[in-house]
Amino acid sequence: MSGASALASGGSALVSGGSVTGVAFAVAMGAGLAGAVAGTWLPRRVRPLGAGVGTAVSGAAGAVAGVAAVAGHPWSAWLPDVLPLAGARLTVDALGGLFIAVTGVVGVCAGVYGIAYCRPHRSHALDGRAVQAVTPLFLAAMLLVPAAASVSTFLLAWELMAVGSLVLVLAEHRHRASVREAGLWYAVMTQLGFVVLLGGLAGFAAAAHGESFARLREAGGALSPGVRAAVFAAVFAGCASKAGVVPLHVWLPRAHPEAPAHVSALMSAAMVNLGVYGIVRVGFDLLGGGPAWWWLMVLAAGAGSALYGILQATVATDLKRLLAYSTCENMGLVLIGVGAAGLLGHAGARTLAALAMTAALLHLVNHSAFKTVLFLAAGSVVRAAGTGDLDALGGLRSRMPVTTVLFGLGALGASALPLGNGFVSEWLLLQGLVKALGSGGTAVAVTMPVAVAVVALTAGLAVATFVKAFGVGFLARARSVKAERAEESPPAMLAGTALAAAACVVLALGPVAVLPGIAGAVRVMLPGPDAVTGPVTLRLHGVASTLSPLWIAVALVVVLAVLRMTVTRRARRRARLWDCGMGPLSPRMEYTATSFAEPLQRVFDNVLAPETDLRVTPLEESSYLVESVTYRARLGDRIEHRLYRPVIAAAGWFGDVARGLGNGSVHRYLGYGFCAFTGVLIVLAVTR
Amino acid sequence: MTGTFYVQSLDLACGALVLAAVLVLWRRDLRAIVRLFAAQGVALAALVAVLGVHAHDAGLVAVAAGVGVLRGLLLPLLLRRAMRAGGAGRETEPLVNVAASLVVAALLALLAYAVTRPVVALEPSPATHAAPVAVTVVLIGFFVLVTRRRALAQVVGFLLVDNGITALAFLTTSGVPLAVELGVSLDVLLAVLVLRVLTTRMHTAFGGTDLDDLRELRD
Repeated sequence: MSGASALASGGSALVSGGSVTGVAFAVAMGAGLAGAVAGTWLPRRVRPLGAGVGTAVSGAAGAVAGVAAVAGHPWSAWLPDVLPLAGARLTVDALGGLFIAVTGVVGVCAGVYGIAYCRPHRSHALDGRAVQAVTPLFLAAMLLVPAAASVSTFLLAWELMAVGSLVLVLAEHRHRASVREAGLWYAVMTQLGFVVLLGGLAGFAAAAHGESFARLREAGGALSPGVRAAVFAAVFAGCASKAGVVPLHVWLPRAHPEAPAHVSALMSAAMVNLGVYGIVRVGFDLLGGGPAWWWLMVLAAGAGSALYGILQATVATDLKRLLAYSTCENMGLVLIGVGAAGLLGHAGARTLAALAMTAALLHLVNHSAFKTVLFLAAGSVVRAAGTGDLDALGGLRSRMPVTTVLFGLGALGASALPLGNGFVSEWLLLQGLVKALGSGGTAVAVTMPVAVAVVALTAGLAVATFVKAFGVGFLARARSVKAERAEESPPAMLAGTALAAAACVVLALGPVAVLPGIAGAVRVMLPGPDAVTGPVTLRLHGVASTLSPLWIAVALVVVLAVLRMTVTRRARRRARLWDCGMGPLSPRMEYTATSFAEPLQRVFDNVLAPETDLRVTPLEESSYLVESVTYRARLGDRIEHRLYRPVIAAAGWFGDVARGLGNGSVHRYLGYGFCAFTGVLIVLAVTR
Repeated sequence: MTGTFYVQSLDLACGALVLAAVLVLWRRDLRAIVRLFAAQGVALAALVAVLGVHAHDAGLVAVAAGVGVLRGLLLPLLLRRAMRAGGAGRETEPLVNVAASLVVAALLALLAYAVTRPVVALEPSPATHAAPVAVTVVLIGFFVLVTRRRALAQVVGFLLVDNGITALAFLTTSGVPLAVELGVSLDVLLAVLVLRVLTTRMHTAFGGTDLDDLRELRD
């Protein structure tokens, strides 16, 4: 407990629970702060090393704390001297522990990766004080959010996290103007989300006459339905903007491509999770579940997000933008599971609710694993090739073999195919939704088939997306000089990525290992004896089918080995590829990301509404002879265009009009004050 | 001090206070305005002294002396110096003409009486009955601040507001502690010093102290 009381700075701190958890958590916070100090004071040459080690240690200690909490050693502390007025309340329970553990592991990978990534390389240098000092702080803030046990502590940690990530998104603002724009979008969205969340939680605390989570939990069920609904709606909106749920996702595809890779990984694999954390903590744990429409709302938002996210990812040509949209999709899938769990819990099918929630949380864990790999590998690619544009990449397999393999592992996970870790959770989610058909009322009966269809369609499109990302980006021949000259990343970057990839493999082959932990978290939200534990064996109505990812893997490996031995026994022979007698094939003839996605873009033309512009310029002498043809295609975010542009235009108009009020005349300003003052006095005189 | 004499002297001081404020609106000569402000400072000091004598509070009488020295002598002296450095001694055409200003002052006095009714009703006494006068001075000071163009006239407006607030504080409470009054007085002194420096700078930089010439500095 020494670490915890050190945190309390001599005050009368109250600490209870598992000592391992507490000590590890205190170490995590301490290492985060030490990393920040190292990032500020160390000389430029060793600064990334100091900050990276601080981040990694903080993450590792956080992971230990989380795992210990999940394993049944919850810990709580009451530190009255840390925050003025309210004091800090911390509780690491099974639910918070799961999120802390996931965040911690992502932090380790990002920290190790950052040691090499932030060193100067070509024009790209991230070893400035701000970035190096804020990265460990950002991780510490993210570890603090799931540990907060009072409204004030939670909001403080949340805001620290938001501001920290904003600073990191703006890391390269001197190099690219687009970074500044992305930063602005992110700042506005995250602060608006915070305001809504603040309103919701403050209202909740006021109605419950107390701000500790224990008090809220006690009072949550007994509040009037109107207050409960308002609190949930506000918290959902605030957290959904953090989780990147459509239509509050607009910051995500902007901020992720512009942020440094390890920051993208932290944001996309850990920070968005905390949006889901807020929703489940308040919705299930503190409010104790709610009426069906809450969960239908969550489910609908999740379904929309999953579909829209993956559709945009399918047609995206920038690697990091594609990954950002894939985050929208996966958060959508998680919310589908959460919504289904709430709906089923409301309908009384508790076992199925626990199953859906287990699937949602497992998918969240899986998403964190493969998204870390993908963002870190994408960062390596961007660093080596100088661009993330898939149309200009290609041929990286021979230049960056390790990164290619690692990205392939991540892509396998993201595409929800067997042997990838995403498959396990999506399969579980589908099973949960399919089985839910028979139970519950009309709402369930109508919603579940739609949700199943959404999940299935999403999975299919995800395959196309990641085949594109991997095939076009890494295989075939290089489409640009930069990609041709790409070099493999330094060992630390590969190690960071490989660590995350190892987590992917473990999750893919032995998901059973993490299920007890998730079951503990589910039990916090849906109390009852029926949480899913032990080996997951699902039985469909009628057909009994057991699925073990490990055995699938073993079988596949055996089949492949046998095939290789029998079919390809003949000696290899090198020959030129058939090129129809046109001469050697050039990289210009390859499939690009745009052309690969074109059929899908055609199918979903109505949703995506691409802007294409074909201009044919004929020769002056004859209109039948063409001089040049220009073709321009632009795929914007339609929701952003339709929903946000008018709002932004209105805000801009209001700002312009408001400028007229302040013309610089001191008398006018004083006059405003005078009129307001006398106006208030007149109102007082008349009404009293 | 007998009851009637106390009330009458209190009313006299308050009358002088509000009269000085109204006359500031009427006069356009900056020197006269500063003189009026000094007179108001003396009236304020007299008001505090009357309150102090009535309450047999020596500390309050001491505060009255301090108020008198600061607002009746020191601040007018500083203003006069600023005026000498600032050149032109006449207010240009104010934003609202004098006749209209006087009507507005009457309306503001009406408003002050309407607004302070609950305060008076809380504990009716000769002192609280005079509270509307102090609020009137605050409002008139604010009005001077809004409508006068010269920086010096604006400083006087600001000081009128402060005089009104001080008077209100003494009338509605049973004596302001010396420390608080000292702090407020020092603040006012500091503000005037800063404003004086600012006015001088403005004059050397732009050749005039009409605030409406400054709007180009905005962005």
